[in-house]
Amino acid sequence: MGNLGLAYIAAGIGLLGAALAAGLGIGRIGASAVEGIARQPEAVNDIRGTAILLSAFIEGVAILAEIFALVFFFIAQP
Amino acid sequence: MPVSLLGGGRVWLLIGAVIAALLLALPTADHGSDAGDGNPDAVGHSADGYYFDLMVGHRKIELPRLFLTRGANDQLRFDAFGSTHGAVESGQYTLADAAGQPLAEAELLSIAAEHKQVYYPVIPRDGGAVVIDFSISRQILFVFISALVLLIIAFRLASRYRMGIGARQAPKGAWQNMLEVLILFIRDEVARPAIGPTYKKYVPYLTTAFFFILLGNLLGLVPWGVTATSNIMVTATLAFFTFMITQFSGSKDYWRHIFWPPNVPIGIKFILIPIEVIGIFTKPVALAFRLFGNMISGHIAIVSLLGLIFIFSAKIGPVVGGLFVLFSVPLTIFIYLLKILVSFIQAYIFTMLSSVFIGMALEEHHHDDHTHHAPDGTVHAAH
Repeated sequence: MGNLGLAYIAAGIGLLGAALAAGLGIGRIGASAVEGIARQPEAVNDIRGTAILLSAFIEGVAILAEIFALVFFFIAQP
Repeated sequence: MPVSLLGGGRVWLLIGAVIAALLLALPTADHGSDAGDGNPDAVGHSADGYYFDLMVGHRKIELPRLFLTRGANDQLRFDAFGSTHGAVESGQYTLADAAGQPLAEAELLSIAAEHKQVYYPVIPRDGGAVVIDFSISRQILFVFISALVLLIIAFRLASRYRMGIGARQAPKGAWQNMLEVLILFIRDEVARPAIGPTYKKYVPYLTTAFFFILLGNLLGLVPWGVTATSNIMVTATLAFFTFMITQFSGSKDYWRHIFWPPNVPIGIKFILIPIEVIGIFTKPVALAFRLFGNMISGHIAIVSLLGLIFIFSAKIGPVVGGLFVLFSVPLTIFIYLLKILVSFIQAYIFTMLSSVFIGMALEEHHHDDHTHHAPDGTVHAAH
């Protein structure tokens, strides 16, 4: 296996971790947001905005991982 | 069958049209390293290029090349050509390989015969170097197109409000109603809660950013379209605007919290200050990467999923590849619809995070501390 294969594996592992962690994180935000809305339906607008904002932060980290995976892809060209 | 719910005939027509368009588009995937294994090079397709793909056979329109070049005699000069082909034909520029070495004349001829010059880096022939490449790439072309469309829409809308339609009487027509909903949403749901009482000053920037990003995202989803916002430089420029506006509207408290955080022990201050200073820059960088990554990942996913058809056709057989259409195309349509949603959400998130950052910089903190942790000198030095 050459450097190219190793770089692809590295990109794959990186994406795996990022997707796993981001999924767990956004899942927790969604669960808490739904719980909050169920408890206080009148606060739905505030909760929705906050939930989207927080998921954007988590998603930003996941996207960073995606970009690093893309960088692996680009620099590993044979 | 869910298909019959959607009115059978039209859905199959749509799927047929999608497949036909893709069969036309994918054979043009001749990005240098065509190994004949059907691999459509998903990253290459989502990347920028100095040509506009007509998606009919191998035809493409070359886009203008503009170079600021430092010649061999150490003088700066500006060269403009209508196309990459023209730049090479003029004799002033030549093509290079991946290592930056100029190609041989025989190779140049064969590349010109196959119209593949747009895939190679361009270097000056006289041994100088290109300082800045101002070339109008296809993504920059779509930046201009979305800016133009946005200007037309905005000026028409503004003249309507100036005439009183929407200001003194109810807005007329689908377009005005639709856009007014979006503008009011940005103003009342995004800017006002996040920024506070001085929000009105920032609404023009926020609405412009929102509609520009939205147009850039959506134009990438129409046939022949290119996603302007899947260029890291475009998103970085937008994030740079937010960065500058945030810094210039920063209150005294904002700078004090960065350079001399109050209410913490002196030892912690020296840990916090570098973190806060890095934090100034990570916010716009994350803003740029988020938009870029979101827009390019959808394209890569679409080309990868459809590419499976061609990879399986080349590796196993056309029957397996053909059957894979049943898997790939519905999934592609799903991702395409998801991308329409993501286009709106990303425009919204960029606007909202921008206003949150501006709001954080504007905020005046009311400390109930009785001791003065921050000498005035530091605050002024920070300015």
